[in-house]
Amino acid sequence: MNGKNLYKKELFLTIFFTIVLMLMGHSASIFVAFPALQKGTMWGFPIYYIIPILLGWFGVTIVSWFMAYYCNKLDDELDSYMSSYKANNAAAATKEEK
Amino acid sequence: MTEQSVSWALQNRALGLGVVVLCFVLFYFVGWWSQRKTTDVSDLYVAGRTIGSVTNGLGMASTWASLATFLGVTALILNLQVPFVFLWIQWILSIPLITLLYGTSLRRMQAYTPASFIRERYGKTATVIVASWMVLIMLMYSLGQMIGLAKAFEMLFGFPYVPALFVGGIIIVGYVTIGGMYGASYNAAFQMIIMTLAFVVPLGAIMKQMGSTGWWFPPLAYGDMVPSMLELVPTFFNTNYSFKWYFALIPAFTLGPIGLPHLAMRVFTAPSLKSARWAVVWFSGFLGVLFSATYTMGFAGNFFAATTGTIIAKGDADKITLILNVFYNPEWVTAIVIAGAVAAGLSTLNGNLLAIGALTAQDILGVFKPDMEDKDRMKIGYVVLFIAGILSVVLAYQPPQFLVTSILWAFGICASAVTPMILLGVWWKEANKLAGIISSLVGGFLFIIVSPYVLPKIVLGAGVTANLGMSGALFTVPLAFAIFIFLSLAFNRIPALANFNPSDADKNLVDRIHGWPDFDSSRYTGNGWAALIGIVCISISIWGLMPW
Repeated sequence: MNGKNLYKKELFLTIFFTIVLMLMGHSASIFVAFPALQKGTMWGFPIYYIIPILLGWFGVTIVSWFMAYYCNKLDDELDSYMSSYKANNAAAATKEEK
Repeated sequence: MTEQSVSWALQNRALGLGVVVLCFVLFYFVGWWSQRKTTDVSDLYVAGRTIGSVTNGLGMASTWASLATFLGVTALILNLQVPFVFLWIQWILSIPLITLLYGTSLRRMQAYTPASFIRERYGKTATVIVASWMVLIMLMYSLGQMIGLAKAFEMLFGFPYVPALFVGGIIIVGYVTIGGMYGASYNAAFQMIIMTLAFVVPLGAIMKQMGSTGWWFPPLAYGDMVPSMLELVPTFFNTNYSFKWYFALIPAFTLGPIGLPHLAMRVFTAPSLKSARWAVVWFSGFLGVLFSATYTMGFAGNFFAATTGTIIAKGDADKITLILNVFYNPEWVTAIVIAGAVAAGLSTLNGNLLAIGALTAQDILGVFKPDMEDKDRMKIGYVVLFIAGILSVVLAYQPPQFLVTSILWAFGICASAVTPMILLGVWWKEANKLAGIISSLVGGFLFIIVSPYVLPKIVLGAGVTANLGMSGALFTVPLAFAIFIFLSLAFNRIPALANFNPSDADKNLVDRIHGWPDFDSSRYTGNGWAALIGIVCISISIWGLMPW
């Protein structure tokens, strides 16, 4: 992947995971903003109470897992970009010496 | 009904003493064992960057879960009920956001604290300002833990507050100083296990005796108690506040912890970026258990008060975890719960003191004595660590009023004065040094002014919203971001201020910490996007100024 696409990917992953993490941690605000969603129960709890707790625990954990997976993959791509950049530089230096 | 004094003290003090002494022996042993590994500053502050993901995840969770998890939160749920649960839930975002937004970048540049980055990115003056804010926040944080621990010893052993503070404090400071970050990391991991078991298992026993069939999984299985709760306390699940209140959680309590150095330092202890990211997964999983159980304890506290007809005195509200254990469980269980509370306070205090040590000896002193030998720096680090600990003991003796305000309020200072400097510095090459300094000073001091503690006549919002710094933060945090962005755009175009413009080295640094081997001037320079964010921030800030 070239540098431009890698850069775009980095920005996309950062913005995407920031938004998803915020939604996981602040889902209670959505229930407050849209009171119509507050109806119903789950496992005996009001839905607007238990969903934020579940998202704030399992939701954040799952998103963190995907974050680790995709950001680590991005790191690998950055590493290979770095290797090819160094190789190109070395080749250019050798050519210049000749 | 009148307020009642309910029992929370242990009758068998020898039992409590035995359990806590045993814990301290173990903590000291781990500290001593770890100390042998400490040979340079990297070992002292970031454990030689060798802490694996599971241990680090436990350590992150333990550092974040303070004494408040055992004492303060349950009191606030007792008083504020469900809105406080929602407030607490979003705190789990702290380390995932730190790691995503700047932790791995700063780990790449081998930073010891976020101020190490500030020094390279913005220069000496900005470092002294930001590091001073951080030290103040860490001092408030550690003071809260120290007061809480002394009170826990007071409850446990029946000592008066002052001897409990001095004896307990000196024992704690000794253990923190001996272990450095190696000791802090291994102890924190161990303390997280202790505190989770000491909180969740006794809670299951309490729930069983309250009649819940979900006692086997306290964090989530108490739904069968809800109908009785609604009969006894019909308001328990009320959301009470407007959308604005819930939105204000973001600037005050999501953006605040992002700038906390003791949390960021946990990311820096990882052996690799990948390991740091996997540690976040463990962190979320472990902390979720403890946090969710805390909500259950708050629920059980309200249920207990309603079913037994007890109105818990204001001063006893933060002891609800102990009250429930003394009421429902055998004494030895309460002794273990207190050991868990002590572990929670210690792990956070340990992180706070290490952050103060690194900020002072490494970042602030580094500005004035940049050529100091590594060995001398480490020696000074140990001295600062010890002095910071002793200072928090002495301050806790007769705490200055402005320092004992809720630590939750101090998060607002961090969000206003520190977070914009870090985030814009990492993600925007145009961030100007002078604009950063002005934004940090204006944001931080304005937050203090509009809060009820220093100038009580100039306050934004009222009641708990103002006391927790939420109304202040909704005004000052976006304002600090906007000031930083617009002043940067302006200052970078004024030739007389060229000295403060980001240099090529600063811009190179931004590329480097994101992992790029080459420099590209088109990366991280979106002025249009920055201006748009600035406009949104101003709108939010104006919203924050409107009557609550």
